[in-house]
Amino acid sequence: MSVKYGILTLLFLQKNHGYELKLELESHLGAKGKINPGQIYTTLDRLIRDQLVLSIGMDDQERKLYEITMEGKKELENWLLEPVPYHSTKEDFHFKWSCARKIDFEQEKKMLDQQKAMIMKDVMELTKFKTEFLLQGDENRYLLITGTLLHLEADLNWINQIENRNRL
Amino acid sequence: MIKVRNLKKEFIQGQERTQVLKGFDLNIEEGEFVAVMGPSGSGKSTLLQLLGGLDVPTEGDIVINQSNLSNMTEKERTIFRRKYIGFIFQNYQLLPTLSVEENIAFPLHADGSLTKKKNQIIIELLDSVGLKGLGRKRANLLSGGQQQRVAIARALVNNPSVLLADEPTGNLDRGKAEEILGLISRFNRENNQTIIMVTHDIFAAGFADRIILFKDGVIDQVISRKGDDYAKYVANFMA
Ligand SMILES: Nc1ncnc2c1ncn2[C@@H]1O[C@H](COP(=O)(O)OP(=O)(O)O)[C@@H](O)[C@H]1O
Ligand SMILES: [Mg+2]
Repeated sequence: MSVKYGILTLLFLQKNHGYELKLELESHLGAKGKINPGQIYTTLDRLIRDQLVLSIGMDDQERKLYEITMEGKKELENWLLEPVPYHSTKEDFHFKWSCARKIDFEQEKKMLDQQKAMIMKDVMELTKFKTEFLLQGDENRYLLITGTLLHLEADLNWINQIENRNRL
Repeated sequence: MIKVRNLKKEFIQGQERTQVLKGFDLNIEEGEFVAVMGPSGSGKSTLLQLLGGLDVPTEGDIVINQSNLSNMTEKERTIFRRKYIGFIFQNYQLLPTLSVEENIAFPLHADGSLTKKKNQIIIELLDSVGLKGLGRKRANLLSGGQQQRVAIARALVNNPSVLLADEPTGNLDRGKAEEILGLISRFNRENNQTIIMVTHDIFAAGFADRIILFKDGVIDQVISRKGDDYAKYVANFMA
């Protein structure tokens, strides 16, 4: 999970303060385990430096309030529309999609289509290798690729399931 | 090599009209292997029927090897089909009581009796689909995978330039499906046959050069295999 985009998603919905952002990230966005408060504040500082977020003063309980900027919204949308490669260890499409749902992202179809296309490209590419390994008698690599293909198939089925339900 | 323009197909049953294909364009290169995917009822089989000249569009053009199927008489279409098109179906569609050889030879009867040369072709085909020695066996005594191999040999006996496959692995388990697809893609490479295959199975579609996603009678998305460096790719996956 990316704390940066998690924060941008939450601030897209409403201005908020750091502690609440931490709690929401932990509960709503499927973040595994606890997030260290330090991580929230250093990320917020970086977001402010990059002009994606503004610090807009205190709320009635003297907590610093943060607000997303236009650039911040643009940054979030660009990230949502960037398909996630299967082997990206730092990113997870499930998380990205949760963020999109949270803000009722109006380009969800485009996002899903692009992710689907990326998966299918991977499948076509890997199938080529799979066939070559089979011909070379490289059983281990053949089975490894088959395993990856089964994961990709599951990812694809999940996206199809979302699309089917969206159509209802 | 195959050009589809503004293709529309409507079925009329009594008072009811169903618009199945709603007008789209498509180009397929010679020697290309294309997979067509999409929900049931989205018009995939209808598209194959039209491409193979088994049925005619309500509107639009299909041009294969410079010939426009929409301008042909039924007789011309039949001749065209015999010469240029091979079909493979999910349920094999063999003649159950005929032998393997007789099934494979079936399309040849249309243009005269079996000659010695044709017998030679059949023997070679049997070998290339991995059924050597089974030529005399009755078709319905074979396993599903073997029957589909016979169907492939039959589809290829006229050396068609276009092979149309409708869910060719739909009745087979994954291992058998992989063998059949290996066979189909080998013919695609070696004979430069153009292949259009409808499938539900992403494992099957993975053998294609391009995947066309169909939805509600139009093309929703076209996905081409990326041209990236294979070595880099495999390194990522094998790391
Ligand atoms: N000969 C026909 N007469 C009437 N309706 C048909 C005929 N063939 C297909 N259809 C209808 O056209 C739609 C698309 O069918 P088809 O092309 O078989 O879809 P797919 O292969 O994608 O599952 C379906 O609703 C089907 O009932
Ligand atoms: Mg069908």
